[in-house]
Amino acid sequence: MRSQQGTLLGLSFVAGLFWVFVVQKWMFLNVFSGVLAGPGLPLNDYLQLANEPAFTMLWISCISALMIWLWITFRARPRNGAEVRRMKPLWWTAAVILVLLGWLYQLFFSIIIWQLQGQSPVQGSGMNFFLLPPGGWLLLTMMVMINVTLLFWLPTLLASPRTYRLVVPGAVKILGGR
Amino acid sequence: MSVFAIGVGGTGAKCLEALTHLHTCGLLEQGGTSVRLGTFLVEPDQQSTLLARAETAIDRYQKMRRLLGSKADHFARGELRHYGTWSPLSNSSGAISLDQVFPKAILRTRASGLAALFDCLFPPEEQAADLEVGFRGRPPIGSAVMSRVSLTAEAKTGQWQQMLSDIETASGGGETPVIHLFGSVFGGTGASGVPTLGQMLKSWLKEQGLNKVKVNASLLLPYFDFEGQAREDTGVHAEARNFQLNTDAALQYLRSSGTSCFDQVYLVGSDIKARYDFSIGGRSQANGAHLVELLASLGMRHGLKADSSSHYAHVLSRAVENKISWGDIPDSEVVGEGMARAARFGVAWLNNISLELDAAQSVPMPMFLSGAPWAHHFFQPSGQASGTQAGRPSIRSSEELSLKTAIDAYVETLLQWLQQFSSNTGTGFSQELFTPELLERNSNYENALGRVVRGSARPSRDEQDDTVEAIKVQMDALSHKKISHNGMAGLADTLWSLSYCDTGL
Repeated sequence: MRSQQGTLLGLSFVAGLFWVFVVQKWMFLNVFSGVLAGPGLPLNDYLQLANEPAFTMLWISCISALMIWLWITFRARPRNGAEVRRMKPLWWTAAVILVLLGWLYQLFFSIIIWQLQGQSPVQGSGMNFFLLPPGGWLLLTMMVMINVTLLFWLPTLLASPRTYRLVVPGAVKILGGR
Repeated sequence: MSVFAIGVGGTGAKCLEALTHLHTCGLLEQGGTSVRLGTFLVEPDQQSTLLARAETAIDRYQKMRRLLGSKADHFARGELRHYGTWSPLSNSSGAISLDQVFPKAILRTRASGLAALFDCLFPPEEQAADLEVGFRGRPPIGSAVMSRVSLTAEAKTGQWQQMLSDIETASGGGETPVIHLFGSVFGGTGASGVPTLGQMLKSWLKEQGLNKVKVNASLLLPYFDFEGQAREDTGVHAEARNFQLNTDAALQYLRSSGTSCFDQVYLVGSDIKARYDFSIGGRSQANGAHLVELLASLGMRHGLKADSSSHYAHVLSRAVENKISWGDIPDSEVVGEGMARAARFGVAWLNNISLELDAAQSVPMPMFLSGAPWAHHFFQPSGQASGTQAGRPSIRSSEELSLKTAIDAYVETLLQWLQQFSSNTGTGFSQELFTPELLERNSNYENALGRVVRGSARPSRDEQDDTVEAIKVQMDALSHKKISHNGMAGLADTLWSLSYCDTGL
């Protein structure tokens, strides 16, 4: 990895942290509060007990996938372009799994965990899950995809080493003419 | 600076094959500038495989260079002109045996004494032997045929004309051209042809007043034996037991009259002999390239040095009895780097890059680029079949593919030669120059370069990091400013530079 790639990887890591734990949280509270909050859903409780753990888990998953990707591509000594391109399906598989995991985390922390524990996340509501409006679910679905883009696609695009530099989707268009 | 190489006989042809490859390595230079090399082959055996091999190497180099044009600064930058192949029998009105070259009936009528002398010097089987396969290891036959050649007449017409005219032009232009002859002193054609032609050239140069032109020669002493024997009906043929006799006679002649033939001579042979299958000549004579031919060719490199003319005869020796390594090669640092670069380039090109370029023909260019980022410097990223983008041609354009085919063809010849001479050492004798099995063409996308070159000429990279992939990464990381040319020519040129480079261009 060249030093420029190392710097970009570091910057994208910091940007990811900042996005997940600062910007996104602020956006849910201030920009999308109307979309997320519905009747009987205290937004602060939801964000603290479901939204944040779900996105933290997604962040950990993305960082783990990124590390595995970098470890594999660093160690590989491909003999030709076809061998390099064989990493493309692996990248897509990782990206799809991360998106599915992201959605699963949302479901898990909003509904499944409360069902399993038999508890109600909102005292006095009588419901053992967070009742998000359809628009809220749609927003979370989109945000999971944006998170995977920022936390997996961007760092792999910027920091895939050596001959793997252009194997990430979109890299040929964005970096190919360097 | 112009130099003219004349290969006489099968061994002479093999030396010119070696010389062509040395020229590719950039090892024929004077004052840092690559010389213009002219080549000329003298061989009565027009079917000789050795001749065909030399002609193939020369033709392929010429074709590659023509297509490269001025689009390469480092790779194959040396000019080469081939003046053709000439047979000493070509002036004998279709005669293919000694008694046809010197018709005995006419001799008896006009000079019976000469006819008797002819019978005395040449037994009947030598008089009747078919010379289309060469002079059959008999220098007297060659000398008799060669003695009929008139260089003054040849200078006016025929294949010698252009070369002799170019020698005159080069000399008139203030250069000090060098003519270098190559041939064995233990066979037939070389042993008779090299001294005779050397003397003729010296006389012709004197007649023309071209006193600045140097005539040097690399004379090959015995370095191989025959495995197997001739059949009873083979007729007159070269015999290994005569090699020493022929050599003694040639060296005696050289001692007494050598300075009338050559300004400098390089004597190279080997006490440990390579074994070749017996052959009378023609297509069956397929002796592999040998290290001694490389050393003989390096004589020409030595002759180009300003301080080379202080001695008449140059000899070589090796440090260890049963092994040759880079330290035994003259000017080993420069020669080793040049040859190591060529070998590594050859393996990287033919066994990897060329295969990649073939694969690129069947996938969309953006997809190809995603696995081969290095290609974006040289080829149009959109992959259009025609036109250019930022001056870069399409990877599929016919001109580019023609050049690729020409480079492939030449590099295959180069690798074959390197492979042959590094595996053809003789029993009990080893070399620490190259790994022969890694110099073979294969379609495995060879990646490891670390063991292609052995010994001190190997680049100082860690073996595990010394890969074609590492070169591709270096290539990809280069700025556009450092890449002067695009297309196949630019790719070959850049690969050539990076093939022996630890830190990039």
